[in-house]
Amino acid sequence: MEIATKLRADAAALLGDGRVKLVIGYAARGARRVPVFISEAPKVEVLMWDATCRQNLAAYLSKPDLKTLRPVAIVASPPVMRSLVVLASEAQIEDGSVVILGLDESGYHGILDLGKTVELLNAVCKGQGLDREILGRLEQIRGMSPQERAAFWASEFAKCTRCYACRAACPACYCARCIVEKNVPQWISTAAAAHGNFAWNIIRAFHVAGRCTSCGACQAACPQGIPLMLLNVGVTESVETEFGIRAGFDPDAKPAIGSYSLEDKEDFIR
Amino acid sequence: MNENTYHPAVLRIVDARDEAPEVRTFRLEFVEEADRARFFEKYRVGMFGLYGFPGAGESTFCVASPPTRERYIECTFRKVGRVTSALQDREIGQTITFRGPYGNSFPIEEWKGKNILFVAGGIALPPMRSVIWNVLDRRGEFGNVTIVYGARTVADLVYKHELAEWAARGDVALTTAVDPGGETPEWKGRVGLVPPVVEAVAPSSDNGVAVVCGPPIMIKYSFPVLKKLGFAPTAIYTTLENRMKCGVGHCARCNVGGVYVCRDGPVFTLAHLETLPQQDM
Amino acid sequence: MTLLKLSNLSDLAAALQAQGYRVVAPIQDDAVVRLRSWRPGDTVRIAALPVNSPKDFLFPRCEAIGRYVLDRDGFTSEDLPARAEKTVLLGIRPCDVAALAGLDSVFAWGYPDKFYGERRAATTIVSLVCPSADDDCFCTSVGGAPDSTVGADAMLRLCNGGTAMTFASMTEKGKALDAVFGQFSSPGEAAVDPVAEVPVLFNSEVVTDWCSKSFESTVWRTLGLACLGCGACAFMCPACHCFDIQDESTDAQVDRLRNWDSCGFSQFTLHASGHNPRPDQPARWRQRMMHKFRYFKERFGRVACTGCGRCGRLCPTGMAISDVCREIARAEEVR
Repeated sequence: MEIATKLRADAAALLGDGRVKLVIGYAARGARRVPVFISEAPKVEVLMWDATCRQNLAAYLSKPDLKTLRPVAIVASPPVMRSLVVLASEAQIEDGSVVILGLDESGYHGILDLGKTVELLNAVCKGQGLDREILGRLEQIRGMSPQERAAFWASEFAKCTRCYACRAACPACYCARCIVEKNVPQWISTAAAAHGNFAWNIIRAFHVAGRCTSCGACQAACPQGIPLMLLNVGVTESVETEFGIRAGFDPDAKPAIGSYSLEDKEDFIR
Repeated sequence: MNENTYHPAVLRIVDARDEAPEVRTFRLEFVEEADRARFFEKYRVGMFGLYGFPGAGESTFCVASPPTRERYIECTFRKVGRVTSALQDREIGQTITFRGPYGNSFPIEEWKGKNILFVAGGIALPPMRSVIWNVLDRRGEFGNVTIVYGARTVADLVYKHELAEWAARGDVALTTAVDPGGETPEWKGRVGLVPPVVEAVAPSSDNGVAVVCGPPIMIKYSFPVLKKLGFAPTAIYTTLENRMKCGVGHCARCNVGGVYVCRDGPVFTLAHLETLPQQDM
Repeated sequence: MTLLKLSNLSDLAAALQAQGYRVVAPIQDDAVVRLRSWRPGDTVRIAALPVNSPKDFLFPRCEAIGRYVLDRDGFTSEDLPARAEKTVLLGIRPCDVAALAGLDSVFAWGYPDKFYGERRAATTIVSLVCPSADDDCFCTSVGGAPDSTVGADAMLRLCNGGTAMTFASMTEKGKALDAVFGQFSSPGEAAVDPVAEVPVLFNSEVVTDWCSKSFESTVWRTLGLACLGCGACAFMCPACHCFDIQDESTDAQVDRLRNWDSCGFSQFTLHASGHNPRPDQPARWRQRMMHKFRYFKERFGRVACTGCGRCGRLCPTGMAISDVCREIARAEEVR
């Protein structure tokens, strides 16, 4: 595969001359695609990429065990690139500490810095809308009565076991101590039961609102098959409508929900 | 069918004493006589319990009073979080939940006729205190009793009233110490960290066992001193602390190496401890 | 032979319900097959492997183990009943049945758990000989087999290309179902479908042995880095049993809850002092392997893994225990 050859060559070069300490990418293990962490040039042979590589590797940049290993190179398809831009805009990535090995289905784009990545994203992805199928499903849900809608979400959240795979897989969820892990006071019930599950899933959706890049890692991670993208794309759609903002294209963007402007609407305050 | 392990006994606080900043001792009586009787049937010194308050949860502390005193139990703990705060908000006359006694115990029957050295630091005197009183309540059955107890500052010494009692007895050799900088102008005890103080006191290891409880760093430096004094690892006892929830070996939280602290401990010999993965503790 | 047609499964479930059983079976639930309580209208997919395990019905995700009614002076403590429903677990794979034996050992150890115990006593296990396996299955590497009957009260076996089944009871609980299964079965010619093939991937003794001497190994760091520290594996695993105890209150009442927990979570062993004996993910991943392949084996005589393959299928980063075990076994062979 052409992508793999060029990718491996660049990764080996970066490690070989010490430009990075670590390369985070994907390897194939049978039919599975798994994240790999390579710190020695000869080991880059396992690196590969295809459209079934679905984990968002940007999630690893905030993991305490890897945070100190900088500079790091990361294999990034557009969803990962957008997450990197969001992390940069939230001061989670120091300038120059992350080297991006950009690629997508059209091919390998080479060693990129954040600036080049942003250019690429704006050229390739900016025009793309949110997933049509999901938007269609959301239309249906919005057409439900409040009781029907509540029943729909209740039956989905009933499956939730509070494994937090969604949180673990999401690059935007990097709090050292998540709100569910605080017990003075206990903000959210930790029990995998109705009210706690509602609270957890809704609160996570709100905590990533305006920061979610619709990469789908959360839904892919959920072992119970909960359609989390319905929730996250729904919130993303609202943010786009209300704030005109889509996350992951501007490293200098201020957080949609977390920042204040004198131009903010106040017509909902009565 | 089976009784519910998680159904607690109810204890009433009959006395409370502040030992040190944030550290309090409760004297507790069982509300139900059947619970009291059942407790004392099983209780041997070293065992622990889960003390709780509904709404806050449960917390694990040793039982700080000896089995020789069967009207009440005592516990001493520092306020560090949700449960300990809720417990310290309770007043004399109010009730808390209790499950126990759980765990293993110090083999004091094997210590009859032996000389016993107690080494303790700071807030770790409580687990030791139950053994000390157990031995002192049966004083004639044991040989020499030597106690070395230190804390960071004078204010941090717990059971100050009892330290004075022990010092006043003719049959206990007590040495107290505070860390350098922790002394007050009136302080008459030693100044120094516990391990070098033990080395200086140099109790004989002949026909002796040593019991050590303290913060991890103190324990780490005490073990070599005790070995140097001639105590074999099988004659040195300590207690392990670990985060616990069920207390009965089912939730696997306190699993360290192949042991469950709540079932195989909390009392361990140094010999046993040395077989456990040090990195997991 | 007397054969039960698969098309009769819903009627069978309804009949069991009418006899007072809660019927738990693999059921089509949108895009996935889930083990859950059968309701009229549900489609039973007896031959499909469900995403979850029967652990859910004996050791639920969340249950109250104590209740306290608050009043002005303090509280009154209520001893809660076990709420054990008479249950038939239908179509359970031998790997999942074997895992229940592990849970039986834990929850009976020293302080028999009333909640688990009563539920277990009220549960009849009707196992299914595996008609198919996938690349993630590895029961034969951990002492199991796709046609093992160990622990089951009755066995189902697919025949005639998966269109019918035979039923054979083995214990008293199983025999109690003879009549109802007989009601929906009729004599017929049957060719028993072949048992799934599950090649042995590694020798678990080698893994246990390696774990016994490799606590300090740097391999754990390599193995553990990809782990995101979620609870997916532990929660979906039929053999995992770690739990948390948490109080939840309303104004008048407090429930003391037992909730699933995972040794993979970063705060699992965090002390109130701030000290964490397992401060990084590789240390926590090591604990997972050690507990399953060494500590549990030492204590209870069996590894706490039955080769169901769910961790491999469901881990967001593909950290299948079978892959790790194969690597360990391969490295040991080379030595």
